[in-house]
Amino acid sequence: MDSALIWEMVIKSLVLILALLTGFAYLTYYERRGLARIQSRVGPNRAGPAGLLQPIADAVKLIFKEEFTPGQAYKVIFILAPIITVIPAILITATVPWGGTVTIGGREVMLGIADINIGVLYIMSVASIAVYGVVLAGWASNNKYAMMGGLRSTAQMISYELALGLSFVGVILLANSMRMTEIVEAQRGLWFAFLQPVGAVVFFFATLAELNRGPFDMPEAEQELSAGYNVEYSGMKFALFFMAEYTKMVSISAIIATLFWGGYRGPFIDTMPGLGPLYMFIKIFFILFMMIWVRASWPRIRYDRLMDLGWKILLPLSLSLVFINATGILLNQMWLIPLLSIGAGFLAIQAINLSLRRKENAR
Amino acid sequence: MTESDFATRLNDRFPEGVTADEREGYQGYIIAADKLIEFATALRDEFEFDYLSSVTGVDYPDEGKLEAVYHAYKTIGGAELVFKVQTDRENPEIPSLIDIYPGADFQEREAWDLLGIKFTGHPDLRRILLWEGFEGHPLRKDWQEAYYEADKKPFKSRWPKAEYTRAEAKNPYGANVKYPDKFDPEKWVPEGEDALYGSLAKYETTDKDGLKTDHLTVNLGPQHPSTHGVFRIAATLDGEKIMNLNPVMGYLHRNHEKIGERNTYLQNMPFTDRLDYLSSLSNNFGYAIAVEKLIGIEVPERAEYIRVIMAELTRVQNHLFAIGMFLNDIGAFFTPSLYAIEERELVLDVFEMVTGSRMMCNYLRFGGLARDLPDGSLQKIRDLVFDRLPRKTDEMDRFLSENEILRSRTVGQGYLSTEDAIKYSAAGPVLRASGVPYDIRRADPYSIYDRFKFDVAVRYNGDIYDRYYIRLDEIRESIKILQQAVEQIPEGEIQTGKPRYQMKVPKGESYGRVEGPKGELGFYLVSDGTGNPYRYHVRAPSFINLTAFGPMCKGLKVADVVAVLGSIDIVLGETDR
Repeated sequence: MDSALIWEMVIKSLVLILALLTGFAYLTYYERRGLARIQSRVGPNRAGPAGLLQPIADAVKLIFKEEFTPGQAYKVIFILAPIITVIPAILITATVPWGGTVTIGGREVMLGIADINIGVLYIMSVASIAVYGVVLAGWASNNKYAMMGGLRSTAQMISYELALGLSFVGVILLANSMRMTEIVEAQRGLWFAFLQPVGAVVFFFATLAELNRGPFDMPEAEQELSAGYNVEYSGMKFALFFMAEYTKMVSISAIIATLFWGGYRGPFIDTMPGLGPLYMFIKIFFILFMMIWVRASWPRIRYDRLMDLGWKILLPLSLSLVFINATGILLNQMWLIPLLSIGAGFLAIQAINLSLRRKENAR
Repeated sequence: MTESDFATRLNDRFPEGVTADEREGYQGYIIAADKLIEFATALRDEFEFDYLSSVTGVDYPDEGKLEAVYHAYKTIGGAELVFKVQTDRENPEIPSLIDIYPGADFQEREAWDLLGIKFTGHPDLRRILLWEGFEGHPLRKDWQEAYYEADKKPFKSRWPKAEYTRAEAKNPYGANVKYPDKFDPEKWVPEGEDALYGSLAKYETTDKDGLKTDHLTVNLGPQHPSTHGVFRIAATLDGEKIMNLNPVMGYLHRNHEKIGERNTYLQNMPFTDRLDYLSSLSNNFGYAIAVEKLIGIEVPERAEYIRVIMAELTRVQNHLFAIGMFLNDIGAFFTPSLYAIEERELVLDVFEMVTGSRMMCNYLRFGGLARDLPDGSLQKIRDLVFDRLPRKTDEMDRFLSENEILRSRTVGQGYLSTEDAIKYSAAGPVLRASGVPYDIRRADPYSIYDRFKFDVAVRYNGDIYDRYYIRLDEIRESIKILQQAVEQIPEGEIQTGKPRYQMKVPKGESYGRVEGPKGELGFYLVSDGTGNPYRYHVRAPSFINLTAFGPMCKGLKVADVVAVLGSIDIVLGETDR
């Protein structure tokens, strides 16, 4: 390994982390403005032109806020918990390819940190670590709301990891690889979102649950648990939780784009590989808008209903999608996959509707 | 059955212990304390008065008596029955009606708290609005507040010879609070908390391996985003399941009724605005009716129409707000509530134009109104009720009612049966969503509601969804009334006689009730012939509807508690008074 390679890695990581951190800050601005538009309001528009300096003002405020630690809290874990949450959120993007290979100063540079052959597994395992932060924060705060928030998040994680993992399996089958770049290249002809539309939808909802975002924001649940697991956190510790959530939103959007929406691929990408990050940016932008839109429009699902949905509907559905993918590949009849999976999705919707029927004085 | 028939039947049934109240201006019956249980049982089972609306008390120190006043109704409609129980002022004991009418629970506690009437047989007779370190019972006539000046307003000039003393100087800080005997606030451990938690059922189980499971007691509030103010829910949980639940209120208590007794009749008009601050015009309406009953004046035609228009607009905007905030409670991130608030603002624009204020309207006067409709306001109301509001109500219905998450959160949850709704004296949308088509506008028409064609909104499932949906129904019915009223409104006077600051109010009592947006809003007034009410009691629907809150929540999840509370639609200004 020559020193240039190390420098390349360091610079790439630095650029990515900085991009993620600014991305996080401006995602909060994007979300607030987007929500405001949906709710017929204006949103933040005071700090700087069109409110563009609002994230900086927020950051300054959070940095100078008092750091309060509750008296009976388990101090070490209390401080460690936000860190455990935020680090996986940044690490998760390491395997996401941001473009093809470009030549900078006579050197071939791959746009992306690491292209390991188990990229998908890496994402799965790193993403799950974050829940420890949430649970430990809930436990260490010595607060009943926080405890309940933490417990909710474990239960939620267990029920959604399965659907999430099985959606990954579907993609792995279609791409015949676990390497992220190969998954992107496999979508050269048709994006997997069109080949496996229901899989894309299931994956989207499972990631919403993973992100603790509405309608699955049970661990926070402002209306029920005040703020859930982070109720005792203030100042920068709270900001870290906030940062973890929004950084993870960006990372997960990048993963969704890579797995289902053709990754960095777009028109003229083969002649101009430098366009890759731009295409990624556009796709992430739209996926983030979907997340904001969902948050603005839907009420929160109740905790036990969410488990029902995860175990009784999403798990069988994603299992059947894996089966459908395998069948289509085995018979070499790719057109079967979208057809059958839409059928399966339709059945799942019927099952949801059935569970909503009014039962006689149901409790 | 006519009035006299009823009196004869009652007399036959109770030859002793039940006498008609023959004091000047009073109505109803006086029951002997030892006959009360028997009388109430007979009233419920034989005379069909199945709904106990209000329980309160009046202090008569001159006669050495405390009097508990009850108002009962038939849920099939008709006028109220007032009955009273008199007891000795020194040792006031009255049997509790909680076994016959469980809806008396909170109201008896309130009467104990504020008047010191001991209801024997009440299982949980603790203070409800005041704290344990409070000395005395403030609604008694001999109780004086810390900065007491005089019994009645208007006060004498505070500096008659330009000698100015502040009330605070007479009651310096530290000496302005009285505590009960042997009470040290510094050393006080809230033993009331023990009583509160003790009133929640203990829950501890041991499974077959000897592993003990304990309950978790969680306080939702007083500082909590979904309690709509400073309201506290003490709940016992098993995991996320509610085992038992007790509402705790009084954090916003200001003894509205005592202040009301100090005020003149007219001064209470703006004060009623502060009860349920979302629907001030309805509050004005109820109070005006109570006082007008006492004085016996008629209201001109045009004024009646304007009153109805304003009351119905109040209902529309209150329900819009209730729906929006309810959606917020079940976790929709402000979008439905902001859409609802947008419509509400348009109604408030009308209020501002007509009354001069958006929330604290203070518009009605005894025998009329403060001022006539200004030019152009009727056209504005027309635009709203013929075009915008029906359209937007349908739009909200289309967006919200069939949403899967909303349905999964609300259908079949927070169930209140028809019998329980009547039993717990629930009122308004809560009662009607449980299948009791009881609306005072129809059951005991006041003002000019008998002229309009509208249906009483009723739904039969008694769950959160029905309590949500019935509000949309009621908005539609209100719009129907509004459309008729706006078309029929005549020209003419808006005030009987000259507007006056001080009314001559004859001796007596009266109970004025209206169908407020949150339920039956009643004002019980006793006049001793002076310029100030002798007793001024508010039957607050937000307060009494909470009686059914605990039973509704049993067995639900934590998340549903918030939804149930949102579906009851309380305003703490009225709950705590």
